[in-house]
Amino acid sequence: MRVLSSANRRWLDLALRLALGAAFVYAGALKISDSLQFADNIASFQILPITLVNPFALSLPVFEILAGLLLITGFLGRPASLGILIISGIFVAAIVSALARGLTIDCGCFGTSEPSRARMWFDLGRDAVLLIAAVAAYSFQRTRSVPRSEVADA
Amino acid sequence: MGRFTNVGRDLAGVVGLAALSVLVGLAINHFSSQPLSMVYQSPQERLQAQLAELVAAPPFESFPADTIDLNQFRRVVEDRSALIFDARSSFYYGQGHVPGAMNLSRDHFARDYLRLRSTLEKAKDHPIVVYCSGGACHDSKMVAQALVSLGFDQVRIFAGGWDVWTAAGLPANKG
Repeated sequence: MRVLSSANRRWLDLALRLALGAAFVYAGALKISDSLQFADNIASFQILPITLVNPFALSLPVFEILAGLLLITGFLGRPASLGILIISGIFVAAIVSALARGLTIDCGCFGTSEPSRARMWFDLGRDAVLLIAAVAAYSFQRTRSVPRSEVADA
Repeated sequence: MGRFTNVGRDLAGVVGLAALSVLVGLAINHFSSQPLSMVYQSPQERLQAQLAELVAAPPFESFPADTIDLNQFRRVVEDRSALIFDARSSFYYGQGHVPGAMNLSRDHFARDYLRLRSTLEKAKDHPIVVYCSGGACHDSKMVAQALVSLGFDQVRIFAGGWDVWTAAGLPANKG
């Protein structure tokens, strides 16, 4: 069942790609400008082993920027949107886990702020919205460029 | 079947993008003016390392910190009877701090210490009060510990920190 017309779907796809891509490029740029602080943010979650904290702190912002740029341009939009979907899911799971363990931390998602539980709930809500948008963006990307094999299967 | 194959292809793309991100991230770090080491050090470990560079400091051990409450801290600020240090990062210090407080941040302790060296070294036996953001923060304790390690012997902590100061509607300086 098609709820949206193809023109509306195109506009929604474009709006989602631009908004999500810009959000992730911005988030990545903030993190890359202060890797040390971001490493502290990652360590405060107490999830990753210490040996992986710094490599992750150096790589994740680059991933966010690259995936964001690819999503904006539409080049390799499918892996880019899936990548954003996966890391959004990881962010949501990490914050839920930190809340459940009673931690009071700063997630460092969009720059730094004072650690607070209220802020963590806000971060969780924002990341959940990003996750939903990423699911929609990936879904649009999949239907936008349906390969012949998939058409044949349908 | 084809649908799963295509998700698999997308996942392979994500893995490729992740691998490229690791390489680019490591390359950026390599050419950075302040590269991260490959092994993470906690703020406490970094502060210890900074102290070790700064002076041949005695072992950095926990100590039972003397704390003061808001009324005592307020008198100290009004009487200027102690040096006051804000242990938060320069960003938060710039946003607002207790009047008369100097920024001796936990993040860049050695750098700030060197900047304030002339004031600090004249005050080895003066009362000092350190604060950070509030009840849950450890920066004031760590900076106080560092100062004690460096030979300052009248170091106390205003545990309520910036949160309690501002909640009481007391004055703030900016910049």
